Amino acid sequence: MSVTVLPFAWGAGGELVKARVTQCALSRICGMCSRPLGRPVAFVGTPLEVGRNAFHAPPLHAGCVTELRALPYADPTWEVVTTSGFEFVRPNREDADQQPTFEPNSLL
Amino acid sequence: MAIADVKEYTHLSTEEVEQLGRELDAIRTEIEESRGAADAAYINKMIRIQRGLAFAGRVALFASHKKPAWAAGTAMLGAAKILENMEIGHNVMHGQWDWMNDPEIHSSNWEWDTAQPAEQWKHSHNYVHHQFTNVLGHDNDIGYGILRMAREQKWHPVNLGQPVYNALLAGLFQWGVALHDLDLEAIRKGKKDPKEMKRQLKQIVKKGRNQILKDYIVYPALSGKNWKTTLTANATANVTRNLWSYMIIFCGHFPDGALHFTEEEIEDETRAEWYLRQMLGSANFEGSRLTHVMAGSLGYQIEHHVFPDLPSNRYPEIAVKVRALCEKYDIPYTTGPLYRQYGQTLRTIMKLSLPNAMTSDDSPEPPSPSIDRGRKTDAERPTRRQETGAYMRKAAS
Repeated sequence: MSVTVLPFAWGAGGELVKARVTQCALSRICGMCSRPLGRPVAFVGTPLEVGRNAFHAPPLHAGCVTELRALPYADPTWEVVTTSGFEFVRPNREDADQQPTFEPNSLL
Repeated sequence: MAIADVKEYTHLSTEEVEQLGRELDAIRTEIEESRGAADAAYINKMIRIQRGLAFAGRVALFASHKKPAWAAGTAMLGAAKILENMEIGHNVMHGQWDWMNDPEIHSSNWEWDTAQPAEQWKHSHNYVHHQFTNVLGHDNDIGYGILRMAREQKWHPVNLGQPVYNALLAGLFQWGVALHDLDLEAIRKGKKDPKEMKRQLKQIVKKGRNQILKDYIVYPALSGKNWKTTLTANATANVTRNLWSYMIIFCGHFPDGALHFTEEEIEDETRAEWYLRQMLGSANFEGSRLTHVMAGSLGYQIEHHVFPDLPSNRYPEIAVKVRALCEKYDIPYTTGPLYRQYGQTLRTIMKLSLPNAMTSDDSPEPPSPSIDRGRKTDAERPTRRQETGAYMRKAAS
């Protein structure tokens, strides 16, 4: 699997790029290398995200998680969950968090 | 028509739009929570039927020199291709069945019986078309880069040939779709990344070659001395699938009542506004259960666009609720018999081959009087793009 120098869905400063997060969700491509996802799909998230089963970071190849975690702006508290499928949830007007989230629906 | 105009058109306040969104969320949650064994049984049954039809069709064509065997084999093979592309492949690649955790029925590894590589379909359809539905300048499904389908699009003398381009697109639809993600408009304008284009072309050539090899060399060869009649049967099955899928797809967004939008209006839209745009940009058609299954459940195009990743077998029950919401909020729910929806689409193709001044607008009247909410007029808005197809795939390289 080819891995890019810069992760596809993250900007140079380590922030998630909303349009690319949406592209990953709908095209079903990896947020790291931008190639088609496999099965299982991996998500990285803080313990809070894991607890609420809603992740900001887009889906990843299991193999790309290691590459992502090696980047300087990777959160050291990130945990990994794997799933077969996920729901893509766009924010509502009244939500304090205006980023879309991913909800794994068949955890492995 | 911009989304701001639509809000006036639909006379809904911001709070009413958000309330509609919450009611659609509730429908979604209900389906997600009840998704289970019956749904899994449905898709497994569809795959069994499809494979049975394909097998029986191929076997019948061993005797393709006899007219009844040719007719039966062609019919079964055509039906199998339609079922595979529409109800199975298209929906599996949306991730509608990923929750089953089935290694075979999964969006990541389904490759379908048509010339376009699955990876490119998931970009051009799942992302570009579903995210930017009917947005001029973004959604390449508006006329597939060769047809003028909206009055907002600038007329050019080349549009006079639309009836011919349309007939060619219909008959060769799988090859038109195969080239869809290349984005011919971007190539024409020199905006396509050559490296990405080369990578995509390589994929298309490989997939197309395998399709040709399968239908026009291997299976005819297996028929021995009946190779010629098997070849014509396979070609007929492919053309049948092309015509049917073209008609179904065009009926999803081009009958009267399905609206077009402009690109500056989609920035920062909320989930509820996104729902609204999907509902107003899509059109359903009526038909029997069999018709809907063979159409890949795209007779429920409105429901499919609102919930593209929910199992397709649940769209009929979702449609009852979505239609009730449209009535409650007095917003259009565009539907009608298949012949009428396609008739309107065909009429639009013919009319828009001519300049706007020579034809009339067929948009239906709004269901409620419009209300001035103080939004910007067209003159106050930034200049809009008037053409389609400039979207480029921006993959990291």
